[in-house]
Amino acid sequence: MTSVDLSASDLAIADASLSSVAEEMGEALGRTAFSPNIKERRDHSCGVFDAAGQMVAQAAHIPVHLGAMPAAVRQVMELAPFHPGDVLVLNDPFRGGTHLPDLTTVAPVFAPGAAEGEPIAFVATRAHHADVGGMAPGSMPVATELLQEGLVIPPIRLVETGRLNEAAFALIVRNSRAPEERRGDLRAQLAATALGARRVEALAERFGLEGLRARFAALLDHGERVIRAVLAEVPDGRYEFEDRLEIGAGGADGVIRLALTVAGEEVHFDFTGTVPETDAASLNAVAAVTRSACYYTVRCLAGPDAPANEGCYRPVRFTLPDRSLVAAGPPRAVSAGNVETSQRVTDVALGAWALALPGRIPAASQGTMNNITIGGYDSARGRPYAYYETIAGGAGGGPLRAGRSGVHTHMTNTMNTPVEALPLAYPFTVEAYALLPHTGGAGRHAGGDGLVREYLFHDRATVTLVTERRELRPWGVAGGAPGSVGRNTLIRADGSRHDVGARAQLQVEPGDRVRVETPGGGGWGALEA
Amino acid sequence: MSTLLGVDVGGTFTDFLLWQDGAFRIHKRPSTPDDPGRAVIEGIEALKVTPGLVVHGTTVATNAILQRRGARTALITTAGFRDLLTIGRQVRPAIYDLEPETPAPLVAPDLRFECSARIRPDGSIEAALAPGEAARLLAAAEAAGAEAVAVSLLFAYANPEVEQGFARAAAEGGHDVFLSLSSEVSPEYREVERTATTALNSYVGPVMSRYLARLGEGLRERGVRTLHVVQSDGGAADVERASRRPVTTLLSGPSAGVLGAFEVARAAGFEQIVTFDMGGTSTDVALCDGHVPTRADVVVGDFPARTPVVDVHTVGAGGGSIARIDMGGALRVGPESAGADPGPACYGAGEAFTVTDAQALLGRLGAAGLLGGSMALDVGRARTAAAPLREGFRDEVSAAEAVVAVTTANMERALRVVSVQRGHDPREFTLVPFGGAGPLHACALADALEMPRILVPAMPGVLAALGAVQADLTATRTRSVLLPLDLLDASVLSEVGRALRGVAGEASAALDDPAAEVTHALDLRYAGQSYELTVEVTSPSDLALAAEAFHALHEQRFAHSDRQAPIEVVNVRAVARVRSHNPLPVPPPGAGARPSAQTEVVVNGRSLSAAVYAREGFRPGDRVPGPAIVTQLDTTTLVEPGWVATCDPGGNLVLERSR
Repeated sequence: MTSVDLSASDLAIADASLSSVAEEMGEALGRTAFSPNIKERRDHSCGVFDAAGQMVAQAAHIPVHLGAMPAAVRQVMELAPFHPGDVLVLNDPFRGGTHLPDLTTVAPVFAPGAAEGEPIAFVATRAHHADVGGMAPGSMPVATELLQEGLVIPPIRLVETGRLNEAAFALIVRNSRAPEERRGDLRAQLAATALGARRVEALAERFGLEGLRARFAALLDHGERVIRAVLAEVPDGRYEFEDRLEIGAGGADGVIRLALTVAGEEVHFDFTGTVPETDAASLNAVAAVTRSACYYTVRCLAGPDAPANEGCYRPVRFTLPDRSLVAAGPPRAVSAGNVETSQRVTDVALGAWALALPGRIPAASQGTMNNITIGGYDSARGRPYAYYETIAGGAGGGPLRAGRSGVHTHMTNTMNTPVEALPLAYPFTVEAYALLPHTGGAGRHAGGDGLVREYLFHDRATVTLVTERRELRPWGVAGGAPGSVGRNTLIRADGSRHDVGARAQLQVEPGDRVRVETPGGGGWGALEA
Repeated sequence: MSTLLGVDVGGTFTDFLLWQDGAFRIHKRPSTPDDPGRAVIEGIEALKVTPGLVVHGTTVATNAILQRRGARTALITTAGFRDLLTIGRQVRPAIYDLEPETPAPLVAPDLRFECSARIRPDGSIEAALAPGEAARLLAAAEAAGAEAVAVSLLFAYANPEVEQGFARAAAEGGHDVFLSLSSEVSPEYREVERTATTALNSYVGPVMSRYLARLGEGLRERGVRTLHVVQSDGGAADVERASRRPVTTLLSGPSAGVLGAFEVARAAGFEQIVTFDMGGTSTDVALCDGHVPTRADVVVGDFPARTPVVDVHTVGAGGGSIARIDMGGALRVGPESAGADPGPACYGAGEAFTVTDAQALLGRLGAAGLLGGSMALDVGRARTAAAPLREGFRDEVSAAEAVVAVTTANMERALRVVSVQRGHDPREFTLVPFGGAGPLHACALADALEMPRILVPAMPGVLAALGAVQADLTATRTRSVLLPLDLLDASVLSEVGRALRGVAGEASAALDDPAAEVTHALDLRYAGQSYELTVEVTSPSDLALAAEAFHALHEQRFAHSDRQAPIEVVNVRAVARVRSHNPLPVPPPGAGARPSAQTEVVVNGRSLSAAVYAREGFRPGDRVPGPAIVTQLDTTTLVEPGWVATCDPGGNLVLERSR
């Protein structure tokens, strides 16, 4: 049964050891970072990879990092040879990244007994930085071209044999609107990466080099077996589903189409028929993001037995039309592909799985992350700043129970920043944060309610909103009603109210407010008459 | 102190440790979950004593939360924030679960009220309560059926004035509700945690006050003058304080256990220990580096609370954890558990193969059965339960060995969290196992982490009752200040000093004892970070060493520090303490360790003949080489080959590697 001779208990022990390395890296990163997005909201992931760059363990708070981390490690591997103490960094979405604010660090791990210059493993961290330059504070603008979104960092050696490349570090830090914060966050990432490398070295000592390699291989094989067993249970067939992003009238230019084919123990995601990449609002997803969203749905089907490793995805194949909305290329803007398009790809994939597995899959959740970035010059503190957060909404109702209200769904799971923490660092406050009753779709099991978060500005600022489901409602399943759409409102100091639509860049003055109302989840099952 | 009684009320047993005229007695009886105080009273009657002081570890508050039997609680918030507790931190606990269960909210939607008062971030008041508003809201809460009310307004940590308006209105209006104010219960910034803590305090308040009032009355009728309750941080409080701040008792039992283990180890000469309390369904570990460590927050059930607790790391695995082969052919142990009912297969009722069954199959529980032989082991039943695992293994015994190995790995991971992950080297620590299953796994764990020594306490079954007797009387007070720690700025330093003196004064006042010692501490972080490390300071007027201590602690915990970066004081803390100075019990020496039987045990794939010893027989100085099994009423110790167990003067078994 096993292709690598490792007992059932050795497997479990190896999984515990490697997962604990990844978790420890994540813990260290979260606790020492400086920007709220990393330390409070935990928008980061850490992983351990084998010598071929295959992910063998991951501590993920954020599903969208799932399939995208291995791409980063494989890009970095092209920069071989490596030396002990090297740490590489990148954010280029077309070379291992996903969108520019996600900075990834990768370190090779060496061990005595391995061939000179040949890493036995890699460790990596990815964290969402609040600002990496570009045309709008927060680096999540409504843009048409990648360079408008911020500084692009191809894979480079930031630490060489233990020595920080001060010039490169200074260049990266200086290209942010909040250089001090970047310095702290990036240092925390480098420290967490180094920590991970030390821990994997210790495992190589404990299990022996060959023992560690055998464990890597066995873990990947185990992941593959789990997913094959799951897919074998799904009826063979071709299941088609489509949904839209709000590009063009009624989403005409935002169609994402999927044919999901299950055959035996394998699955094929074919996105043929999806619209071409777009100039609207950075909604292009790079292929790694699309893969992540599809992997996420597979993980959800598998339940708790699925390990967090890349072997799980061996039975999964893709057809991603080149230069489509779900497989964009340079020089397209991609910042919202990671956060919004990924949610719609998830909806489409779950919609298709719902056809394959009737009675198993919930209705659509809010289908957006409700991204808001706020930035400018804080005149009271005498410094520039940039702040980013995402806002929860309703989860879809499902066959078992009603959807949860006011919670992050699918591709994100970032915490909120405490309302009381914001004015300690920024010139704005949150004046309301509450559920919106009856915004979840009705049904036998209703969708969860969306919520409202209202910001009051005490200084001039630029506010960027990148949201979805302001026009097309999250769908219900099995006769359940769709959830309510969200709404973004600018309330000027004089009391005038303006619906600013799904995507907007706003200049606000002291006394102005922005009110974000998030969508409810779809309902499941018809209401009994 | 003439007569002194420590009592720990657990889920299954209520344990008593009685000191009378310089001698001690132990008593154990079944708990009475419908009224936990009944077992306490019955125990005192059975012991036929009138203790002057009873110190009590209790799970009343925790169980009220876990079983959702707390009071109907109303919450009053700033307008626009009524759903704060439902939204929480807006995250889901299991990211790949498409339909996670939503915990029922602590405060029902019809019991959420908003007030018009607004406090600014700096504590100044933007809008005061409208005249009569507080009384009106309290009346509305009562009309809606609330027995308890929590008031938590945004930024109230910076100014308690508005919230105090509700206390005045309650007093004036004669409202019969249990009222908690966030500015008193948890005056720290971060609204979700502060509000949750305040709401929990109100939720368990009526249950806890009624329980303590009833127990106190029962004790008074029997001549007992004083009742103290162990708090989550290992210090004791009187009934009045425990009734008003029940949220401080959420970890009462586990903290008393760690304190008991630490005091026993300290008396034996070991101050650097890792406690390992492995029970049926969960395991608690804590690292004590010269003292019992505390942290500032805890999660009970689905709810977070900001309250000082002994820093125990809990994993949901124990002797009752069920083993299975997963879809991909890997062996998994837990998280499903056979619990106490039906329990492991070898106890006679369960069907599933648990960790305890694996130990039984390997012969490590001895042949005579558990609880001093009064409970027989059905090894055949354990063997049958192992059948589903056969596929991946040669036979049942190798499957059992694998289950124990995976369990050890899971426990090792828990121990790494409290040691390696926090910058401590386990090779410098003594492992102190207790709980029913702890001493069975200790040698394997110590080997995995290269720990030099294991200390199995003389009376591992009553450590929490023993810890209750050892507990100092303490009161802790905290307040968020959010100031820079600028050693060159005299005005800032004096403000931090003033705040420290303020909380110190409150803590001393709570104890109202001239013998109280006060310690001061600061929660510090690099300006811009979000997590704090707690650093003790010698006095409010001497903060010079705090910065240095913080850099060093940051370096230890996270492997880096930045001596140039500005430091921020987030909270000031003070603990007032009246030391207990109570003695530690030493069991009477036995007649000498002599094997009562030989039995087959399997260790590292080999079947060996091991001597079985009764723990009561040990005298200080007795040495028993592994492989050996030492049985006693509430636990079994496996001395693996290569280890030797020595009975120390305190009656503890000290296991070290034989040379």
